[in-house]
Amino acid sequence: MSHEMKQPEKNPAKSRRQHSDLRFALHLLRQNPIVMAGLVISVATVVLALLSNLLVNGAYWHQQNLTLRLCWNNPAFGWPVTNLFNCGGQVYPLGTDAYGRSLLQMIILAIPIDLQIALEVVASAVVIGVVFGSLAAYMGGLIDEVILRITDIFLAVPWILLAIVLIVVLGRSLTTLTLAIIITWWPWYVRLMRSQVIGEKEKLYVERLKMMGAGWPRILFLHVIPNSIYPILVQSTLDIGSVILTVSALTFIGLTPNPLLPELGNLSNQGIEYFFTAPWLIIFPGLTILIISLGFNLLGDGIRDIFDPRLRR
Amino acid sequence: MVFVLFALSVLIFYLTRGLLPPTTALAPYINPRLTDAGKLSIARAVGVATSSCPSFSDFAALQNGCITPLWTQYLYWLKNVLVGNWGYTLLPGISGTESTWSVFFGRFPYTAELDIVAAALTFLIAVPLGIISATHNNKAPDHLSRIVSLGGYSIPQFWFGAMLLLVFVLYVRIGGLGLLPASGALGTTCALCFSNPGTITAYTGVPLLDALLSRNIPYFWDSVVAIILPAMTLAITSLGLLTRIVRSNMMEVLRQDYITMARSKGLKERTVVYSHALRNAILPAITVTGLLVTYLIGGSVIVEIVFSWPGVGSAALVAADVLDINFLELFVLVAGVIIVVTNLTVDILYAVLDPRIRY
Repeated sequence: MSHEMKQPEKNPAKSRRQHSDLRFALHLLRQNPIVMAGLVISVATVVLALLSNLLVNGAYWHQQNLTLRLCWNNPAFGWPVTNLFNCGGQVYPLGTDAYGRSLLQMIILAIPIDLQIALEVVASAVVIGVVFGSLAAYMGGLIDEVILRITDIFLAVPWILLAIVLIVVLGRSLTTLTLAIIITWWPWYVRLMRSQVIGEKEKLYVERLKMMGAGWPRILFLHVIPNSIYPILVQSTLDIGSVILTVSALTFIGLTPNPLLPELGNLSNQGIEYFFTAPWLIIFPGLTILIISLGFNLLGDGIRDIFDPRLRR
Repeated sequence: MVFVLFALSVLIFYLTRGLLPPTTALAPYINPRLTDAGKLSIARAVGVATSSCPSFSDFAALQNGCITPLWTQYLYWLKNVLVGNWGYTLLPGISGTESTWSVFFGRFPYTAELDIVAAALTFLIAVPLGIISATHNNKAPDHLSRIVSLGGYSIPQFWFGAMLLLVFVLYVRIGGLGLLPASGALGTTCALCFSNPGTITAYTGVPLLDALLSRNIPYFWDSVVAIILPAMTLAITSLGLLTRIVRSNMMEVLRQDYITMARSKGLKERTVVYSHALRNAILPAITVTGLLVTYLIGGSVIVEIVFSWPGVGSAALVAADVLDINFLELFVLVAGVIIVVTNLTVDILYAVLDPRIRY
């Protein structure tokens, strides 16, 4: 959005048109209940993540209480399976997990962890993608070829295999998990940014800037990139959901730094072990992932439709 | 294409051999019962120990002058890759008795079967969904298709698989048995299964195919019953992209002049959509096949774990646990070959099908 505000004095007519475009887009956004639902879910997720340490004591995840493990005593719903252990007096709204911790509290503690990884991955991928993608497109020639071939290599491996190898080699921690996902993620952004800049660099204003004697870094970073970054930002909204799916898939299959860690995939991993005795252990963490990722996907999908006139409804 | 595979081999070699000690690379080739001299000679043959290395303990302690430079190791490794010498597997239970190659390709047909069935299901569901969504733009079918494709995009694969298990194994029960089998590639304990399907001859290793070739219908049925849930899980979680592409292409094609022309000739709407528009709308969808294959191979790792499917994906995770890097390398390279070949086929097919494209 910022690039429209930056240079209003240079081309007032263009800026006014873009401004009314934006207002029309916001109008469409308000009209579309699906996108609004996505917006509400995404904002609620972020708010919940920010408040999680106020809602639940962060130290709870270290506390195991094996007498309370796998219990369910929420009177609103009974499972047709026999509980392994008794809950005692307290009511646990979503039951307890295999370590005797309240599942609801663990899910609340898990949301910021997953969201943080997702934001780190998406932000890194956007930065790498914008820099290398625009360089490849703007410079062309050998640089373009080299960058494209490198992305080819990474796109020829299923991401999960590459991530497994990286985590095995680098050790299991949240940092390597994040790093492994960044390494599998950036090529998409390079490709996307490259395709945007290739169209943008042929426009007349770039020609004019060149004639005015502007150097390529100035043209590229101050003019071309700000004008072609929209689709990248939309994609990054969509990808927050996908990264959360990826993180939880990796921790679900056991590539976790600590089995106790409250992370949505990690919590589900206990669930598959006690699948037939304590189904709530996989149902609720998985449902949380679904809701969060659906929220960001609805939002990103709606924004893409609104900004792409061909798909506008 | 060759370049990508070569670079992929360098990447995977560097990750597993450059960052892990050479003793890890040696593990699949040596038997723990060997003498140190025997181990050292194998280490030299595999190319990780230099000929001047005095003893195996020096090698194991990573003494200076004992470890060959990385590029020499790469050449030896590449030779072993090309002749298929992957050493013995380190997977628990069978470690040291079977070669990594035979374990991998013994399990690979199961993964291939799962992915192919899932890919077929994806196309069968996604293409009609995309068409209906485009022809009923902004009406109920469009919304439904949007929910299915976005929902599939947002559902964690492991969770969707688990929910299917919960419904079709735990809650829908007939005569004390779940409707569908909970695990494995051959369902023998479920309401719809034959409990004793007999045996088949392994012609190809792919159970569905072998059962047909052996003319064993109960075995075929039990394999079909077992593949329903894992293949559905993969298909539903992968169809989002394809549906969206078919939809947007269809919408664009339906706006073109020749479609208006066809309509004004008085052709039925069905003829216009299915015989005039579909052909052009579905063409770009072929280009995402490569992406779909990548996604399915990756997804099968997770789905195989949920459904205890005896393929390479579930074994890869065990391999990661016991540091069987040869198994992981083999998997990455085979997946790379499949993806690169698929992309090449798609490019050629695209040029054949679309006369506007000529290289």
